[in-house]
Amino acid sequence: MINQVDQMAEVTPTKGVFRRLLGYLRPHRTLLFGAFILLAVATTADVLGPILIQQFIDKYLTPRHFPTEPLVILGGVYLFLQVMKSGFNFLQLVGFQNAALKMIQALRIEVFGKVQRLGLTFFDRTPTGVLVSRITNDTEAIKDFYVTVLSTYVKNALLLIGIFVSMFFLDFRLALFCVILAPVIVYIMMMYRKISGRVFHEARRKLSQLNAKLNESLQGMYLIQAMRQQERLRSEFGEVNGDYQKARLRNIRINSLMLRPLMDVLYLAVLVVIMSFFGIRSFHSVIDIGVLYAFVNYLERFFEPVNEMMQQLNVFQQAMVAGERVFQLLDQTLYAPTQIGSANPEIARGKVTFDDVTFSYDGETDVLKNISFTAYPGQTVALVGHTGSGKSSIVNLLMRFYPVVKGRIMVDDVPLDAYSDIELRNKIGLVLQDPFLFVGDIAQNIRLGNEHVTDAEVVEAARFVQADSFIERLVGGYQEPVRERGSTLSAGQRQLVSFARTMAIEPKILVLDEATASVDTETEEAIQTALLKMRRGRTTIAIAHRLSTIQDADLILVLHHGEIVERGTHQELLAHRGLYHKMYLLQQGGREAVQL
Amino acid sequence: MRVFLDLMWYFKAHKWRYLSGILVLIAISVIMLIPPQIVGMLVDRVSHKTLTTALLIRYGVVILTIAVILYILRYIWRILLFGAAVRLATQLRNQLYDHFTRMSPEFYHERRIGDLMAHSTNDIQAVEQTAMQGIMTFVDSIATGVAVIITMAVSLDWKLTIIALLPLPLVAWSSSYYGSLMHHRFGKAQAAFSDLNDRVQENISGVRVIKAFGQEQVEEVNFRHLSQDVVDKNMAVAKIDALFDPTISLVTGISFFLTIAVGAVFVVHGHLTLGQLTAFTMYLGQLVWPMLAFGWLFNIVERGHASYDRIRVLLATPAAITDHSDAVDAVPEGQIEFHMDAFQYPSQAAPLLKDLHLSVEAGQTLGIVGRTGSGKTTLFKLLLREFDAAEGSIRIGGRPITKYKLNSLRKGMSYVPQDHFLFSASIAENIAFAKPTASFEEIQMAAKIAAIHDDIVRFPAGYGTIVGERGVTLSGGQKQRISIARAILVDADILILDDCLSAVDAKTEQAILESLKANRSARTTLIATHRLSTIEHADYIIVLDDGCIVEQGTHEQLVLQNGWYKDMYQRQQLESLVEQGGTAG
Repeated sequence: MINQVDQMAEVTPTKGVFRRLLGYLRPHRTLLFGAFILLAVATTADVLGPILIQQFIDKYLTPRHFPTEPLVILGGVYLFLQVMKSGFNFLQLVGFQNAALKMIQALRIEVFGKVQRLGLTFFDRTPTGVLVSRITNDTEAIKDFYVTVLSTYVKNALLLIGIFVSMFFLDFRLALFCVILAPVIVYIMMMYRKISGRVFHEARRKLSQLNAKLNESLQGMYLIQAMRQQERLRSEFGEVNGDYQKARLRNIRINSLMLRPLMDVLYLAVLVVIMSFFGIRSFHSVIDIGVLYAFVNYLERFFEPVNEMMQQLNVFQQAMVAGERVFQLLDQTLYAPTQIGSANPEIARGKVTFDDVTFSYDGETDVLKNISFTAYPGQTVALVGHTGSGKSSIVNLLMRFYPVVKGRIMVDDVPLDAYSDIELRNKIGLVLQDPFLFVGDIAQNIRLGNEHVTDAEVVEAARFVQADSFIERLVGGYQEPVRERGSTLSAGQRQLVSFARTMAIEPKILVLDEATASVDTETEEAIQTALLKMRRGRTTIAIAHRLSTIQDADLILVLHHGEIVERGTHQELLAHRGLYHKMYLLQQGGREAVQL
Repeated sequence: MRVFLDLMWYFKAHKWRYLSGILVLIAISVIMLIPPQIVGMLVDRVSHKTLTTALLIRYGVVILTIAVILYILRYIWRILLFGAAVRLATQLRNQLYDHFTRMSPEFYHERRIGDLMAHSTNDIQAVEQTAMQGIMTFVDSIATGVAVIITMAVSLDWKLTIIALLPLPLVAWSSSYYGSLMHHRFGKAQAAFSDLNDRVQENISGVRVIKAFGQEQVEEVNFRHLSQDVVDKNMAVAKIDALFDPTISLVTGISFFLTIAVGAVFVVHGHLTLGQLTAFTMYLGQLVWPMLAFGWLFNIVERGHASYDRIRVLLATPAAITDHSDAVDAVPEGQIEFHMDAFQYPSQAAPLLKDLHLSVEAGQTLGIVGRTGSGKTTLFKLLLREFDAAEGSIRIGGRPITKYKLNSLRKGMSYVPQDHFLFSASIAENIAFAKPTASFEEIQMAAKIAAIHDDIVRFPAGYGTIVGERGVTLSGGQKQRISIARAILVDADILILDDCLSAVDAKTEQAILESLKANRSARTTLIATHRLSTIEHADYIIVLDDGCIVEQGTHEQLVLQNGWYKDMYQRQQLESLVEQGGTAG
């Protein structure tokens, strides 16, 4: 099986990403500034330690001079600095973490909110898994960025600066030697970043393939088992898994060559430099042992921050890639069509007019061509036609899921664009082909987020579509838990719940998208009765496979390749003996003999 | 630390890798003891003015040689131990996948895919970290710790060593205390993230419903709450996390203070030279790492422990459906008999099938109708052994299906489920899913029977068109027909069609049924449907209601009975007749 590469994963972060990510720091600048001050004080306290010991060695220990008061002060200061350092470091870490988490939360809410405003055009093009990953996993990777940058880089950069300053304070010439270290380390870091970046990215890509494979297998496991492909899928998974392992091992090799082991070589080399410096100087002058002590001590501290920063480079890189992807999503402009103007008209009568509407999903093939019709208030307009004839597209446009580019759609003689989202969603009730249920309970699934819908209204809506009998038979009744996608309910039961959901908002206009397709005839019979009741006083646009369900429609539109090829009432269309008549005969199938 | 015992099976399996890795780590700890000694000697030589150029060069050469040796050794143990951990993760992942393929639908009914994914990604990662950083830290901190402490005590001063190490137990205690807090809170943070993930998944999947009902803002508010929960739970973790470093550095600071203070007294009294004191503090510096590492170790190990427990629980879930010891390896054929006294899903209270006795002769077509939830799909699931019926049996060719090997049983059946799931692969690969060796002609043939061939060749990439999550969007009807083609290609004796033509229009349905009939003579076909026209020509039809057969017979017989079938049929007829009468005048 081919594993499609996650195309959106193939981005290279641009320079702007870093700046933009830093932009999220701004709202938390007070918190960050506070944490930074704490960090600066803690770091100062940290690097002062060896200097105090150096003072002690050179001023008191070497000359064997021990006055009580200065020594107690020296010791007291040392201990005080230690305690302060620890306390401040704790507060500083909590502060930075807090800021990082808040920033990520803000970013997540922004991305999620953004996605809510995007149109179905966007969702059609983006696989669910990719989108979920953007909102959760990628933002999680960015969290690592904030934590890393704030906790590791800022902290370690400060510490390194502190160490260098202390070294210069102790011995200017030797410190100069040590400063040469900086470019060497930066060079190694850059080399490492260049080499490991590729390998690291490769490993991430393999991991994403691995997860995609696993996710799909879990979803389709019943099929894999029914078709006895466990063995093959196992070996396919094993292969992807093996590829991932290879990439990881390569990663480890590079890390082992360039990270801590190399830094330790550097440490020992600089130790030799310091020893030689003091050794050679000792040949012609007296040296302060305390200074040597302090240098060795600083050197020991020097490499730990460098190691940490090196190790975080990939996290950093990964966060940049994740950031790029999240920002791509944030910059997405495929918005859901929304209100234009601020007139706020209301849908009172429910007249629906399509005026010469031509529509295309991809901008190339027109799926609807010059569609014009009017559904007068209270009327039922039925859409029939082959699969792919454009029925659903008409519904999609009426629901304002996609923007109308050519032609006009009017509701109550006002362009569809002029209505607010709330007005549109409250007045046009859609029953979808796929009765999607949410995790929660039955009542929640009927009510959705419309808190104004009372319990009585929920029951009423259920009764209206005759879903009450099966719901009341459930152990928990209306509080019966609904699992992921309503998997514990049958397709028909799910459908009934989704009908009740539509009825709960008491829409002015009813849109039925192949809603009756997968319910058994008896349930459908019940629903037909309910629909009849519902349709009283409501304009209805209905898609139905079985022509029998829409025979009483005021207007039937027969669609073929995106065009209305026939229109009229059931009787008229039958008399016309055209496409509709053919479809009708086909549906009657073998019963013709009985009918004649 | 128990997780190390839990993972012992793996360590044992790779004992040479681990033993050599550990030996290298110990060797490094010992070699690392040399530089401080040399620095100490240098300090003493400098203070006594006995340093010579030759000596200085020798010191330098020794340290540089050590540097090179350490570099090589450090590379080696990383490859050995880290490599082993990566392999462990690969192995666990394969094990889990393997296990997943053995789990019956019951298992998947009870769990969310998102949770299973989390076990396979996050939990395995945590275990890998345990085997990687955990083992390394454990060995290295103990080896370094012991080596350094012994050297300090033996070659420098044991009294000073004891004093310097006095604060140490505090590190061990706080590490373990923080670790247990961490374990607890980390689990909650993970759970919160998982909730968030599930929520987003559901939101995206249900985007049409959300948009149709204008629920975007409600969803945003819910998301805000969930993300706040994630922040709170993570903050709880961060507060503990932030305690590790400061605690350890405070203890270290006190330790340094004691060393210098007491060490100074020793120097004054001549027990210790200044060089030795310098070397001693360098050793103390080397101890900081094991101490810090021990803090992390608890952290890492706690996470790994929790994760490995979850993985083990998962792996320990027994397969609900297994081969019986006396099962035969033969593909079932012949008459199918159902003798079901009662069947209910494990999580449900009321039985779904009751007193269902039925037989289907080989080569016959059985039609199953009945209202939604009457047990049609359940019957198929039992036949495929997705679930086992406790009361009753299903026999094929006289042998209970439980006495066939699962693989053989399913080999005898082509199944088209109600929900049409396609894999992220080309259309050809999807059709050939159950028979990957199928030739292109066979694939095309199956597609033609399922009336999808014409649709397929209209795609730019034809049979190579990628479908599924990451591929092109197909209509429900197209997906259904591809999944029918997939089952047809298997060409098994028993074909099961579970209401799989619902999104296909009447004309296409008729075409499919006709070509099926032509291509499947003398094969058994079971069709569940809501459309009576689909099964009108079936040899036998049963009507299910509430899990019981309420009516049965041929179409002709059923329309003569005064029951549900006739009722349904008449309602449709009535409609047609009224219609016909209308036009006929």
